[in-house]
Amino acid sequence: MLKIENRADIFHYRTLYSILFLCIFVLIARYFQIQVIDFNKHYSKSEVNRVKPRTTYAPRGLILDRNGKILVENFPTYILTVTPYEMKNQQEQFLKISQIINTPVDELEQRFKKYNRGRFLPTIIAKNLSYEEIVTIEEMRLDFPGFQYERFDERIYNSSSNNDHFLGYLREIDREYLKNLDSEKIYRAGELVGWEGLEKQYESDLRYTKGIEYVEVDTYGREINNLSLENKLAYPGKNLNLTIDSELQDFSKELLGNKPGVIITSNVRTGEILSMVSSPSYDLNIFRGETDSNEWKSIISDDKNPILNRSISGLYPGGSQLKIITALNLLEQKKLNPEDELLCSGSYSPPGSSLVFKCWKEEGHGIVNLFSAIAQSCNVYFYETVQLLNLENWVKTAKDFGFNDLTKIDLPNEKRGLIPDSKFFSNTYGRWGWSERGVLLNMTLGQGDILITPIQALKFINIVALSGKDVPTLKLNKDKSTTYYTDLEISSDSWRVLKNGLYDVVNNNYGTGWRAKVEDSSIQSFGKTSTAENSQGEPHAWYIGYFVQNDEIYSLVVLVENGGGGGAIAAPIAGEIIKKIIYSKNYMVSSDVK
Amino acid sequence: MLSKFGKNQKNFTTIFLSILTLTALSLLTLYSISNIPISLNSPFTRQSIFILFAFVVFLFVKEFKIKSIHDYSSIIYILSYCLCLIPFLFPKIEYTYRWIDFGFFYIQPSEFLKLTTVLVVAKFLSNHHLEVKESRTIIFPTLITFMSCFIVLQQPDLGTAIIIFAPLIPMLLWSGVNTFTVFLMIAPFITIIAASNLVFFYLWAIIMFIIFLTFEVNLLKKTIIYFANIFVGLLTPIFWNSLAEYQKDRILTFLNPDLDPMGSAYHIIQSITAIGSGGFWGKGWQQGSQTQLKFLPVQESDFILSVIAEEFGFVGILILMIVSFKLIKNLLDVAYKISDYFSSLVIIGFTSIFLSHIFINSAMTIGLLPVKGLPFPFISAGGSFLLLCYLMIGVVTSISKN
Repeated sequence: MLKIENRADIFHYRTLYSILFLCIFVLIARYFQIQVIDFNKHYSKSEVNRVKPRTTYAPRGLILDRNGKILVENFPTYILTVTPYEMKNQQEQFLKISQIINTPVDELEQRFKKYNRGRFLPTIIAKNLSYEEIVTIEEMRLDFPGFQYERFDERIYNSSSNNDHFLGYLREIDREYLKNLDSEKIYRAGELVGWEGLEKQYESDLRYTKGIEYVEVDTYGREINNLSLENKLAYPGKNLNLTIDSELQDFSKELLGNKPGVIITSNVRTGEILSMVSSPSYDLNIFRGETDSNEWKSIISDDKNPILNRSISGLYPGGSQLKIITALNLLEQKKLNPEDELLCSGSYSPPGSSLVFKCWKEEGHGIVNLFSAIAQSCNVYFYETVQLLNLENWVKTAKDFGFNDLTKIDLPNEKRGLIPDSKFFSNTYGRWGWSERGVLLNMTLGQGDILITPIQALKFINIVALSGKDVPTLKLNKDKSTTYYTDLEISSDSWRVLKNGLYDVVNNNYGTGWRAKVEDSSIQSFGKTSTAENSQGEPHAWYIGYFVQNDEIYSLVVLVENGGGGGAIAAPIAGEIIKKIIYSKNYMVSSDVK
Repeated sequence: MLSKFGKNQKNFTTIFLSILTLTALSLLTLYSISNIPISLNSPFTRQSIFILFAFVVFLFVKEFKIKSIHDYSSIIYILSYCLCLIPFLFPKIEYTYRWIDFGFFYIQPSEFLKLTTVLVVAKFLSNHHLEVKESRTIIFPTLITFMSCFIVLQQPDLGTAIIIFAPLIPMLLWSGVNTFTVFLMIAPFITIIAASNLVFFYLWAIIMFIIFLTFEVNLLKKTIIYFANIFVGLLTPIFWNSLAEYQKDRILTFLNPDLDPMGSAYHIIQSITAIGSGGFWGKGWQQGSQTQLKFLPVQESDFILSVIAEEFGFVGILILMIVSFKLIKNLLDVAYKISDYFSSLVIIGFTSIFLSHIFINSAMTIGLLPVKGLPFPFISAGGSFLLLCYLMIGVVTSISKN
């Protein structure tokens, strides 16, 4: 007990008691007024007229190529929704509806179950209604309480770009996925959301802003009145302008034909991707409306994996293009003089070992120096010289060029690839199960555990083309502001030596890439072929290169999966693309070089 | 347990029965509006868990000694004040600094500031009980209350700030502060609000005049204070109009962060339609088409009375109001009868908090007050506030047993 006695005054008690009484009395009186006196007014309003918020839509943004050609647009369709609470006699209603719209009842019920979010919210049960079907339903409106049709835009791929992976596609949101979405954007089950490619990457730009309209409706769902005061307008999504040139894109596609592989071209000074083809592909229109489950299954189970965007998610051994890493390492560390010569007899045995590593040219290249070794892609030269290097430096240089990392191109699901380091080897083969000398022999040829993506190869050659300085990040969205990759500290002497080698690859008679040569004095072309051995059969044929015309630099990557020799298979394709670029002037003017 | 309350036993029986009734009504209503009631994220299940937790806290708190509550009240106050600063160290949650994120739930520290402010004010008033007749003794309680309001307004949360302020006047009155002094404290605020409308302002000037006449205070003092008030009232519109548009907006949003000219009118119309259509007997449990259509935002908390009114009708509301009345009245009785002064003041403070929550929440659903996110005690879903309610009841119980 505390010392001080309570001295509360009866007057104060009564004051507070009166305040309490007054408060409760006012509340009860007001409730009485609303619930008892005005009951009829409110009850009839709740029964006959209901104010319903109705979502309004606007079109999703279009996707255009660099010249304004429409690649992806919208196709208006009508969908049918039903509000479970308002529906009477579900089975009978579904049966009637299924006859009108020619859809099996099972399918309606399946959709109803899949998208239902509660008794009082409209659920999408049918799509792609024709105008006639809507008219019929409208005429029989009184028979279908709770049913409603809405306009609903779908994507349509009319152009020849209908099979371009990078575009991506939309998918219906189901209840599972709904949980993962940004709640602020107010997605609803059954609506479409960017699921892959650019549609996913730029979802927030492309997507429309929904509006809300408050309408008074009667028990049959008929609109009585539009309460325009509280409406919120819907806004269309922003258009997406791509750096893609659809003419070059189509041309690349034709060149590749039905061979599995990749062709990517870019404007080096801006980082703009001009074309990006991944083959085989599939028609994106299958994502319109209801995807036939059989059709879908056949695509998914196809051995050639047409779903995969090989440009960014395909992993391949890099092959000889990684000799560039070795060459730069040798030059930077001053391990040799580029003019130093050695003899390629067609094979190489490490000192003190009985193993024999063969050059791709069985009879040998004879006397080679660094220039001719790059040009002829001589294995023996690099087998011997790579022994002057250590693994750590080699790995670091490869990573500096962006391997084993994302290129940060504006596409989802890019793969990192792999440049194995000593930690990786110890984990995989055990501490004593590998030797640094041995793995370097593999690494310099871009074989073994090395995995790269074609887009990494493109970034790689772009870095080479600009000598490692101010290399813009690759991008597909023309309006995306330019950022740059980290600059490389490599001396200009080393670059000069390397580029002489790459020049000879294309322009010297003995160069492996001579088939990529274009007889045009206005350009200077550089490149490197690779023939990447792999366990699936024929080697992968690679060509990476760039060419300079006036002030512009363009780069390209060609990969033919299990195509054979890089020089024989990939280089001729590269030559055709170079010709196409220099003889059509569309993309000579890049958008943001000032 | 109840036999320990001595002369207050009857009051406590009523208090606990009221809480039990309110809790039952709350769970019934939350079950009705939960889509899938038995799932971890439904308001029903969450609230059930919170109630169990809060009850355990209650059992713990009721064993406290009133002496230690009295002695430690300043420290508890400072701790709870610091707790309110924590949200400012993190990014905003739902555009405010109200909550501390614990993953499964948020904690709103300002709820506990309501309780501790009452404790610290009660301690001061009971320690200075002989001096309360002097007007300067009211300075400290007012200062403390404003300090609490200030931090809460920074979050910003006008509703909670109002609740923190609400117990001050009743507690001052209870402790015997001159009624005229209390009136003088409130007068300028009413003057400023009344200045927004000329008719109100005239009316207020007349009421004020009558009140000034009835109190026996020095005439000169009266006259000066009266005209000072009128002067403040006259200056207000001039000051207001001198502000730039964006400054006005800032002040309005500061005072009412939920200001949403598009939304609130629609919500009140929907709420009234839902309540009205319930009629005398209601539409029946889980049958309220208006609330089930989810027209109203936060119907598990701010608009839960609309659900009760629609589904259980005027009868349901009447029961709710009578039970709430019983609860408050019995708390008031205990405060009057209890022999200890500090305890008495604490109960008055808590009673004011309960009553203001009940009144503001109900008045909002029927369009008597603008939309403010304040929950109804023991009815609305929400962990922090429920915990506060049980804490307050726990303190009252512990007080009465001593």
